[in-house]
Amino acid sequence: MADAPQRARGEAQYTADVLLPGMLHAALLRSPHAYARVKKIDVRRALEAPGVHAAVGPEDVEALTDEPGFFGAPVAAIAANTVEQARAALELIDVEWEPLEPLLDPDEAVRRGQLTDEPRRNERGDFERALADADVVVEGEYRTQVVLHNPLETHQSVCRWEGDTLEIYTSTQYIWGIRSRVAKQLGVEPDNVRVVCNYMGGGFGAKNDPGEYTYVAAELARRTGRPVKCALTRREENLAAGNRNATIQRLTVGARSDGTITALGGEFVNAVGWDGWIAPTDGPMQTLYHCENVRTVTYGAKINTAPMKAFRAPGYVEGTFGLECLLDELAARLDVDPLELRRKNYAHSSNERPYSSKNLMECYRRAEPHWERRHELRTRSDSTWKYGAGLASQIWYGGGGPPSYAWTRVGSDGRITVITAMQDIGTGTRTAMAQIAAEELGVPLDRVRVELGDSARGPFASISAGSSTTPSMGPAVRAAAADAKRQIIEIAAQRHHLEERVLDISDGNVVSADGNLSSPLEEIVGLLENAQILGKGARGPNPTGMQVLTFGVQVAEVAVDVETGEVRVLRVAAIHDVGRVINPLGASSQVEGGIIQGIGHTLSEQRLLDPATGTVLTQSLDAYRLPTIADVPEIVCELIDKPDEHLTNLGSKGLGEPPIVPIAAAIANAIRDATGADIHSLPITREEMLRALEAAKQKQRGAPAAV
Amino acid sequence: MELRQPSSAEEAVGLLGNGHVALAGGTEIVPLLRDGLLRADALIDIRRAVPRGIHGTTIGAGTTLAELEVDPGIPVVLREACRLAASPQLRAMGSIGGNLLQATRCWYWRLDFPCYLHGGDRCHAKDGRHDEHAIFGNDVCASAHPSDVAAALLALGTMLRTTARELPLAELYRLPTTDDPQTTTLADDELILELEVPIPEASVYLKAMDRQRWSFPIVGVAAARTAGEVRLGLAGVAPVPWTLTSVDDLDRATPLPGTAYKLPIARALVARALRAVATG
Amino acid sequence: MNGHRYAVDVPVGTSLAAVLRDELGLTGTKVACNEGHCGACTVQVDGVPRLSCITLVHTVEGEVTTIEGLRDHPLVESFVRADATQCGFCTPGQIVSAAALVAVSPAPTRDEIRHGMAGNLCRCGTYPKIEEAILHWRD
Repeated sequence: MADAPQRARGEAQYTADVLLPGMLHAALLRSPHAYARVKKIDVRRALEAPGVHAAVGPEDVEALTDEPGFFGAPVAAIAANTVEQARAALELIDVEWEPLEPLLDPDEAVRRGQLTDEPRRNERGDFERALADADVVVEGEYRTQVVLHNPLETHQSVCRWEGDTLEIYTSTQYIWGIRSRVAKQLGVEPDNVRVVCNYMGGGFGAKNDPGEYTYVAAELARRTGRPVKCALTRREENLAAGNRNATIQRLTVGARSDGTITALGGEFVNAVGWDGWIAPTDGPMQTLYHCENVRTVTYGAKINTAPMKAFRAPGYVEGTFGLECLLDELAARLDVDPLELRRKNYAHSSNERPYSSKNLMECYRRAEPHWERRHELRTRSDSTWKYGAGLASQIWYGGGGPPSYAWTRVGSDGRITVITAMQDIGTGTRTAMAQIAAEELGVPLDRVRVELGDSARGPFASISAGSSTTPSMGPAVRAAAADAKRQIIEIAAQRHHLEERVLDISDGNVVSADGNLSSPLEEIVGLLENAQILGKGARGPNPTGMQVLTFGVQVAEVAVDVETGEVRVLRVAAIHDVGRVINPLGASSQVEGGIIQGIGHTLSEQRLLDPATGTVLTQSLDAYRLPTIADVPEIVCELIDKPDEHLTNLGSKGLGEPPIVPIAAAIANAIRDATGADIHSLPITREEMLRALEAAKQKQRGAPAAV
Repeated sequence: MELRQPSSAEEAVGLLGNGHVALAGGTEIVPLLRDGLLRADALIDIRRAVPRGIHGTTIGAGTTLAELEVDPGIPVVLREACRLAASPQLRAMGSIGGNLLQATRCWYWRLDFPCYLHGGDRCHAKDGRHDEHAIFGNDVCASAHPSDVAAALLALGTMLRTTARELPLAELYRLPTTDDPQTTTLADDELILELEVPIPEASVYLKAMDRQRWSFPIVGVAAARTAGEVRLGLAGVAPVPWTLTSVDDLDRATPLPGTAYKLPIARALVARALRAVATG
Repeated sequence: MNGHRYAVDVPVGTSLAAVLRDELGLTGTKVACNEGHCGACTVQVDGVPRLSCITLVHTVEGEVTTIEGLRDHPLVESFVRADATQCGFCTPGQIVSAAALVAVSPAPTRDEIRHGMAGNLCRCGTYPKIEEAILHWRD
């Protein structure tokens, strides 16, 4: 990666490392109740504490609240010389709380009609009738837990006012979104808000918006005339910085005895929290397979827990777990091979619009050798350790879209700078953009440098979310490079009295088709002296009337200790179709990272609440368990790498999210293959594993003897 | 706050008590101080006052877990317990003496809920989430003691020498009561100096955990055969490190609704451990 | 530290990480949890990895090595080569831990790497590349 040396050497400056002269530190007072009213708040004693410069409360900053709806909701903030002084002063804020009865049960919220939004209903065909006509019906209730993003750099901003201009150094996935949101909120001209994010330490969907820490820092900076940093602690991060919401999924599939799926139905309860939106948990059921009769309803339960935020393929991760486990239970019932069942129900054309490209069948074909391994794998089982394999399909977005802009600058030294005010969230963006520009311009990669991370130093760039960075920004960079190339060739044509159409740039040289001319780029542009070539590029539209989606399949191999409930993931083969692959090494890192994050989701991570008070019990990383290097299986990554010919000048889709989508179901299905136990709940703790094994035993005892 | 660095055990003992807290590796004390769960007017850095190193069967209380996990002279059960404890950095910092005195990981206790151990009047875990809690000795407090090392040392029949006395390790611990939240019998001005660790004929440590590494035990089972007699020490199952006098003790477990799953795990690991030390 | 001597004046209770970052401006050492759980703040004291966020600076006796003192270590180049950085926030701590590991075990096996690096969390899941980087650190 182009910027890996800076990161590895500890030279990269993250928001956490920003230290401005005279900078103060803010600390936030958070609600100790899951639901309460602030009857009175008095910051006078806090203001007199050592080192304290200013305090703000619900009346001063809209992001602070006097009716906290979740444990950890931000209520007030202090700016002091040091963060320790600011935290100490929080204790001196006098608050009169009126605790209210929290509602924590999402099903109960739905019963009471306490919803964040209207229920989302999607129906096609006649579900009831298809179900009545089905040869076999399988039903299941699946539950997924709340997981926390936990980027290693917590949410934070440093704000400084220079006259009427606000500078924001912030850890974000969307520089331009912060600029426009903050401008609007504060009533400032957008051009008077400068947002800087050179390096950021992870987001995974939780850093798309400004957040209370930005607004608090901006207001405290305005009041004190000093720069103010507001950085969440790890524990605050796990209270209030977003989460993947829990879901309850009540699913039904009806099929003919040959495995043709005829009916799919789902009631999805998303435990959204106090605020947030209804993630598409119903998405996989609606889109993954060909089925004419589908009925889903998705509820957003408004409960007294922290608001959800997007988390790496929100909705689809949870929904794929339910649907793909249900499908394997259907396969087991029908005694059909799970891979065959998926092929049989392949959606060749979208239920709405045609796909711009879809190579899922090719993914299935490439999965075969991995899937075949299960026969040998199972033979390793003994009375304690059971081995098995499982698979699950993946569908998700990832096409990106306009608008996005980039510039290229070619100096007389023949070096190229790509300029765009986008962010690199750690996905290898600088490298991918440099590769795209280098390829288009016909120059070696080391001639290209990418300048990003500052809204004052480049044109509008899109959000780094929804697997969209490369497909949104790449085409703009390519167009900007093409624009520069055209100008260079124009100059070369004039100088050498050749037609433009016979000229090209290759390996840093301007060359003619007949081979008579081969002139280093710097000799052509060297004629310019201080003049520069400036290329401009814009991201074109997505293909009209088409759906741009990503696809894939993963095969997981597991071992289960049936006495202690230990689950070990041994190997995962991931085959994904994301259009053209720009940087294979970086792409494999995204696949591995998604799978590993998904293994955390599947096996060890869960936010726990005290059921009486709604207090978050797993605030620190000893209690909230992210995977370590010792938990990583062998990961085999295969990418189809066929450019999507309908999609932009690049043919690339995004890859950040697809790998995390199918992994939980693949593991759960492997567990069923190994042990016969049906997993219905995440995470698959020892307790859940032992419960499922016991249930399987009971089922076997109760069931008639196998024929 | 003040930091004192006594150069002998006698000097250290003279400084301890009255709000003066001993500090060795700091992996437990520093976070507890920062979270306000422990208050100290002065910190007494005891690293020069407490022996460090391994001499035959004697282990200095200041020896780090990292030093123990690679020493081939240490019984397997102890080496493995050290190896599977905490993280590499924590093992490099933390001393074996400090490890024996670590506090519970109970989230209610760590979040300063007013529970018995904090002088309150109830166990919040029992009514709330107790997924990682006790199946033995949980009459008052349901917390689970997380020390892998203590389980191993119990199985080995370890004797401790402190600045005041010599005692079997088991006598270092006491179950908390509604009146007295202490989980150890160590006085405020008493230091563990050395451990006398018998060499067994065979020993093993088996640990069920949430991750392959860097996890506290769900259940840890230590077994050691010394002079033909097998002793079992368990981690993660009771408010203090737990001795099983026989396999039948497992029938007398008192699991909570959320900890019932630990019992089959304990049974399986005990059976495996007994098989492992029966031979070899 | 890193071959130099520094004089700092901070109250008892101040962590080594705070001194490195706030007093000396050495921000290569990252603080991600500040309670000893994640390993981002790892430094070496006399070659032994320690969590600087829960190390009180007044108790440090010995030579401190931070990422700034390891910039010429071959591991930096092998991490770059293997693409063993994603967001990069954990990377300095990973390299400091890895340097301590390879100093003791110059040709570590995969199992040794997994055992020795388990205290350095990486939320991006760069672990397979980190393992490769350490496995081939001298290539």
